[in-house]
Amino acid sequence: MSGQKTLRTYEPLGHALGLLATLGLAWDEIVFSRHVIWHLFKRDFVAQFRQKIMGYCWIVIAPLMGIVPFVFLHRAGIFNPGQTEMPYPVFIVMGMGIWGFLTSAFSVVSGGLQNNQDLIMRTNIPKITFAITGMANLLYNLVVHCVVVAVFLLVMGKVPSAWAILYPLALLPIICVGVGLGLMFSVIGTLARDLNSIMATFLNLLMFVSPVVYQPDFEHGFLKAVTIWSPFTYLVDCPRTLFVAGYFPHVQGFIWATLFAVVVLFFGIHSFYLVKDKVAERL
Amino acid sequence: MNSAIETKPWAIRVEGVSKKFGLTLRQSMNYGLRDTASKLLGKNAGSNGVLREGEFWAVKDVSFELREGEAMGIMGVNGSGKTTLLRILNGAFSPDAGRAQLRGRVGAMIAAGAGFAPMLSGRENVYVNAALLGLSTKEIDDLMDEIIAFSELGDFIDLPVKNYSSGMHVRLGFAIAALSRPDVLLMDEVLAVGDLNFQKKCFDHILQLKKSGVAIILVSHSPGAIWSVCDRGLFMDRGRIKEAGLVEDVIRAYDDQNALNAITASAQFDQAVAYHDVSASAESADYGHTQGGTGDVVCNSVSLLDERMDLTANEFQFMQTIVIDAEFSVSALQENLFLRFTIDAMNYRFIATLDSHEQGLDLARIEPGHYRLRVDVIRPNFRPGAYKLNVGVSRKGLGVHLFYWFGATHFIIKHPKDKFLYADSNAVMHLDSKFAIEKLQPLDASNIAAKKLHCNG
Repeated sequence: MSGQKTLRTYEPLGHALGLLATLGLAWDEIVFSRHVIWHLFKRDFVAQFRQKIMGYCWIVIAPLMGIVPFVFLHRAGIFNPGQTEMPYPVFIVMGMGIWGFLTSAFSVVSGGLQNNQDLIMRTNIPKITFAITGMANLLYNLVVHCVVVAVFLLVMGKVPSAWAILYPLALLPIICVGVGLGLMFSVIGTLARDLNSIMATFLNLLMFVSPVVYQPDFEHGFLKAVTIWSPFTYLVDCPRTLFVAGYFPHVQGFIWATLFAVVVLFFGIHSFYLVKDKVAERL
Repeated sequence: MNSAIETKPWAIRVEGVSKKFGLTLRQSMNYGLRDTASKLLGKNAGSNGVLREGEFWAVKDVSFELREGEAMGIMGVNGSGKTTLLRILNGAFSPDAGRAQLRGRVGAMIAAGAGFAPMLSGRENVYVNAALLGLSTKEIDDLMDEIIAFSELGDFIDLPVKNYSSGMHVRLGFAIAALSRPDVLLMDEVLAVGDLNFQKKCFDHILQLKKSGVAIILVSHSPGAIWSVCDRGLFMDRGRIKEAGLVEDVIRAYDDQNALNAITASAQFDQAVAYHDVSASAESADYGHTQGGTGDVVCNSVSLLDERMDLTANEFQFMQTIVIDAEFSVSALQENLFLRFTIDAMNYRFIATLDSHEQGLDLARIEPGHYRLRVDVIRPNFRPGAYKLNVGVSRKGLGVHLFYWFGATHFIIKHPKDKFLYADSNAVMHLDSKFAIEKLQPLDASNIAAKKLHCNG
């Protein structure tokens, strides 16, 4: 009988795992913990809408409220977003939504260990589970975002293109960047608590050199170069244009940006597994 | 170890496990960042086997093996490494050296109630907590009725957990962890949950698990709880194993160490108080925390002797005669003097008094001078533990003390080898008694039920 039982071994990691080994380990642990991920997602999802007067309406209201200040500034003539291919409210709803996936992916993954420190200390669930538990919520938000954006577009008198069906796939690279950065900072953030907020601030600054709330058309040489070379330019602009206009404006740029996203994700997973053993004792 | 257990395969195997921590948050952060950078650069980080400046061993070189159906109690004072060891076994902390292996599903009572969301009902929380304990949704569905019945929550299972009393909360957590059908059960001070009936149910269930082959590790400060469940014991001190073996022997060693620690702590406290008294104003010197009186009689020294060797001692065997050796100075003629020693236990004051007048020593007239007093306390029946001796001097008709000295000396009584005094760590006196039992008449089933009803009612 004892031969059939799972054997758990805890010992110091003598050698560094290779990239493929850590990717395989991550996959195994996520599959092993799928029940936990599901139940933690359900717990957080249900709990966040309980005892709120508007209940599940917040799913739609929250993303729309974020764009109100920019639309107001635009309508009041205070803020000039530059030439956009689509009505400005559509441009900003989609831009903010797409950027939101990057920042949310970063914050839920990087804060996942700190937010679940009690569970890390008391249970033997693989630590990657707690880092990515918030991702279930993020994927749910992706579905909601697609529906909200489609309805919003119709309200604004535009019909989403047939290529909009590929929109969630086109968003995956920017989510991968958020997850990869989040995994790197999830462990480091438990050691020095201010590093996560420094990175979050940096991402917010990056938004202003990316086509999120306006079309960046800088005259300054350095800013222009940053916009051209930043993968975020393509990771934001391409999915949005695909959804509304049905084409990819910068195919080559998007491919390079996607490769960048994959590298960040893989490096994030690898670095997480190299140092995750140091997490619990630093929490 | 009994032979049936000996043939069973091991469930937990711990080989030379060590774990170190930094003393301060800053050191911890610095070493953490340094180790992380080394790991990312592909180097072996942390110089695992050796301590760096500002680090200490929370667990050092711990080894043991536990077979299926065996239960081991881990004891030790706060900071001895028990919880760190349990967290290593539960996979939360990675060891810095050595290896820990566990075979089968691990049910950790330290995870009882983990992940409960206050806004969700008890039923919804069962799914979350049970999933954290490694159960699939199907297994949780199958166990739900059993969990509700064991926790005795009834209809309250659909109430939000935020409205639960602490007892209901713990009962639900315990029920999930206990019914998760583990192969290895790790428990940390969780047996004192709920009311007496629920506690009994928990004990019964744990013993049933043990009988069915579950290996159990129980961390507790309560020798009674450990003795009830465990066959073996492990006594940890500053991260190392101080004693391992039969549970009774380990409890004895733990009790003796506790008594020693109490003496040390008390001496340090007295030292701090004495320092405070000295640094306070000169006027308060006569009425200080530990010593005072009119000054006409002063006790200069008190020591305890081992009567067999006439040597100063502070550790005595159970029921061993203790000799008190004290020196007094009398500065003015005293009439009807009485000298008194009182004894404090760890949790109680003045548990015994030795008074010269009561014991037949007549001190009707004492001239000025130096005196030496010897008191043989014959075979005192103090239970194992730490005790404090106080000195008092007064005389008939005088409303105040001529002299008093609290905590003049300390002593400990060690656990006897031929008796196992486990029943109550608060009890201080052992009364030698003879127990006898005889059967009067058998009870039929209806009588037993009526008696039970009476007890519960």
